[in-house]
Amino acid sequence: MVRAASALLLVLFLAGWEVYCRVAGVSALVVPLPSAVLRTLWDGLAGGYLLPHLWVTTAEMAMGLAVGCTVGFLAGVLLAEVPVLRRLFYPYILASQVVPKLALGPLFIVWFGFGMTSTVVITALICFFPLLENTMTGLQQVDPNKRELFRMLRATRLQTLLRLKIPSGLPVILAGLRVAVVLALVGAVVGEFIGGRQGLGASIIAAQGMMDSTMMFALFIVITVLGMIVYQAAAGLERWLLRRPWKG
Amino acid sequence: MSFVSIEQAGYGVPSGATILDRIDWTIEEGEFHALVGRSGCGKTTLLKLVAGLLAPSTGTVRIQGEPVRGPGAQVGFVFQAPTLLDWRTVLDNLLLPVSLTRRPQPADRRKAEELLDLVGLSGLEGRYPSQLSGGQQSRVALARALVTEPPLLLLDEPFAALDAITREELQNDLLKLCARHRTTVLFVTHDIAEAVYLADRVAVMEGGRLRHALPVPLARPRGRDVRYSPRFNALCLELRRVMDGADSGVALERAS
Ligand SMILES: Nc1ncnc2c1ncn2[C@@H]1O[C@H](COP(=O)(O)OP(=O)(O)OP(=O)(O)O)[C@@H](O)[C@H]1O
Ligand SMILES: [Mg+2]
Repeated sequence: MVRAASALLLVLFLAGWEVYCRVAGVSALVVPLPSAVLRTLWDGLAGGYLLPHLWVTTAEMAMGLAVGCTVGFLAGVLLAEVPVLRRLFYPYILASQVVPKLALGPLFIVWFGFGMTSTVVITALICFFPLLENTMTGLQQVDPNKRELFRMLRATRLQTLLRLKIPSGLPVILAGLRVAVVLALVGAVVGEFIGGRQGLGASIIAAQGMMDSTMMFALFIVITVLGMIVYQAAAGLERWLLRRPWKG
Repeated sequence: MSFVSIEQAGYGVPSGATILDRIDWTIEEGEFHALVGRSGCGKTTLLKLVAGLLAPSTGTVRIQGEPVRGPGAQVGFVFQAPTLLDWRTVLDNLLLPVSLTRRPQPADRRKAEELLDLVGLSGLEGRYPSQLSGGQQSRVALARALVTEPPLLLLDEPFAALDAITREELQNDLLKLCARHRTTVLFVTHDIAEAVYLADRVAVMEGGRLRHALPVPLARPRGRDVRYSPRFNALCLELRRVMDGADSGVALERAS
């Protein structure tokens, strides 16, 4: 019922937009017609123009996400487990939080050249921090009683990590993953703005160069849908990993 | 040689407060001792000293003559809170002490199921802790401590969350099991009747000190009629008087 209402809201909004643009004669350069955007989108997908770009962005995002999350998780485990390292690195981690990672993009282009590599590096860097933070927090938040239980059962450090700390910190870690997934898309697209030859972000820049607002809107839609799909996938993974058979 | 001997053991926190003050106590092999006292008097702390979870700041705790330097394999501990792993089934929780040392065998699984049956939870092995009531959770925690058949059991109010009838059943089962394996037990409780029913000797604590030791000369095995016998009631009354005395600060005989 509510779902139908919110779908109706979208239809009304698009209809209002279309009518207003036609009646007021707004230039397609400023705000394109929704119908034109949908047509461009359809042509781009059916004609195959958008697909390689979609593929490139998805690949960059996936690689950046995989690398950034893996390294972030492992670093988080290391810092949570070794207090000396934590004290040593924590000021720098805090400082690096406020560095706008995207601003490093031009530097990465100098280092890694135009193309996928620098975008993957930016994406990985952006995904690294939420995983690092949440892994550290999650592993340190273990119930002291459970820790004492493992001590009483003479569990080794590795057993305590694998069988107590990681499972009990998993909800926090996965919340970090959900944040990372959203940031990964931003990272990939903006990374392409700066140094991409291909991909959805690079296409936006290309469309801008040709003053093709309709294409830009079509690309926004593709990016939004891609974001929704990966977010849902991450949320689904989270639900699956944290499933507790409450239903019995 | 006593199985457990606590010699002048004290425990203080860094802030300077003394939580335990020069405790002396011995438990012979196969004996069942109860520790009673008001909330906050240091019972849990004493139990953790014996377990090796805390190190005494003065004195020593010995198990079979050896000074305790950390949690040992021969000690089973039931914590005051059930402390189950929420992401594991009841059966996996029960087998945790085993699975931390080796891969559980079918025999272990049978053992775990027997124990579940004993604590009245058969058929629930596939459930998760969140699907159990508080009392059921504490029974799982009890069974978990029993699964490795440790020669020394330390129990911290394991039956506090149970109704009177289940509690009596579990008391009997615990006594049976401990007699069968000649387990040495130190059992913390708030409940005077429980202490008298279970124990060979009851230690009364107050404000971090052991104030009194009360022997319980009731014959074993103890059954239902014992609970309603005049001897039993007289002992409960005596223990109650001792605790009242301890509360008013009158130092009674110190076991030393
Ligand atoms: N880490 C700590 N720092 C300071 N004081 C503590 C600490 N842990 C316990 N205490 C204090 O030590 C005293 C004894 O605590 P303990 O947990 O042994 O009590 P208890 O006899 O088991 O009580 P209960 O019956 O309520 O479980 C309490 O007064 C408590 O406030
Ligand atoms: Mg306690």
